[in-house]
Amino acid sequence: MKGTLNLVGYGLSAIGPAIATGLIFAAYINGVARQPEARGVLQPIAFLGFALAEALALFGLVLAFVL
Amino acid sequence: MSAILRDAMSQQGTPESGPKNPGDGAAWSIVSYLLSGLIFWGGAGWLLDRWLGTKVFILVGLILGAGASLYLVWLRYGRQ
Amino acid sequence: MNVAGAGFEPPSSADFIFSPFIGQSAYLTKPIALVFLSVLFISIFFIVAAKKAAIVPSRLQFAGESLYGFVRNDLGRDIIGPEFIRFVPFLFTMFTFVLVNNIFGIVPFLQFPTMSRFSFPVVLSVLTFVVFHATAIKHKGLGGYLKEIMFMPGVPKLVYIILTPMELMTFFFTRPVTLAVRLFANMFAGHLLLLVFILGGDHLLHGAIGLKLVSPFAFTIGIALTFFEFLVQCLQAYIFTLLTALYIAGALSDEH
Repeated sequence: MKGTLNLVGYGLSAIGPAIATGLIFAAYINGVARQPEARGVLQPIAFLGFALAEALALFGLVLAFVL
Repeated sequence: MSAILRDAMSQQGTPESGPKNPGDGAAWSIVSYLLSGLIFWGGAGWLLDRWLGTKVFILVGLILGAGASLYLVWLRYGRQ
Repeated sequence: MNVAGAGFEPPSSADFIFSPFIGQSAYLTKPIALVFLSVLFISIFFIVAAKKAAIVPSRLQFAGESLYGFVRNDLGRDIIGPEFIRFVPFLFTMFTFVLVNNIFGIVPFLQFPTMSRFSFPVVLSVLTFVVFHATAIKHKGLGGYLKEIMFMPGVPKLVYIILTPMELMTFFFTRPVTLAVRLFANMFAGHLLLLVFILGGDHLLHGAIGLKLVSPFAFTIGIALTFFEFLVQCLQAYIFTLLTALYIAGALSDEH
């Protein structure tokens, strides 16, 4: 097997943001399902949360190449 | 053929109105902004490192890029 | 993978390189043949589906109309808005081209998704890039368009130094690159997964008796992955066209 430890680290670190994105959008879908009028209010919050989680995922990706 | 198709389509009841869900695709735009921020400011930090011979500016650049792109995402999508 | 004994070579990116059928020209390989086949297939399908267009459609006509209606309504009208009709041919061609080429990944005897060679998604992404920038420039003028990208309202002036390069980079570099890489990476990874399980299962089948008993599991996973790959292929075609439509809609929109 070839490769570096970077890739193993990146693979493990990708679990967190994936679960986080699932949780965030599950909450968003739940909220919109219970009250469809709340869609406009919940959408920016969902996207902010997703951006924060995704930032960590991309950090992991970039650092796997950089370091 | 396009005339027949257009007739058949418009008989399906929905009037041709404006965009119905223009907010979709924000998730992909967010990923694009994050990537751009990381790559641009990380790259700037890396170039600074090569110029000055240090090793720390690339991490500073990456963190600054992540922070700036999160701010940009907040500006575009976080306030209504 | 070495448990199966010597001789198993895991599939790698060398499996994606094909030698020409006849002679030495690099233009006579399997992916090129598949692309031509896909174009032929799409053209013949839609010409035959539209030939005897009746008000009560036959099954073939219904299939063709459903596909066209899906792209026209859900991707064109709902996203782009009032001026969508002139982009529908572009979106429709892109959607069917990517879809058929992706599905070639699981069709027996063909079994190679041509979008897993990087040059094909790159060309499509360049086309999208040209269309979306040309639309924006024609709609808002070059100066107005650049001003709108670079200077977001509601931000203190000093922050522009940080934000403007990122915005420019997003619009001119990251968006087309991620569009191409997303399609390429999904197709590449899917094809590689299928190769691993099916070739691995085949290798196990020819091994010792203990390994022979394990090989049905590999084939079962291969079959399950084929169905999963079908889903991913259709989804990737949809996402590519959806993002193209969204970028065009962003180019045509007047407000921020």
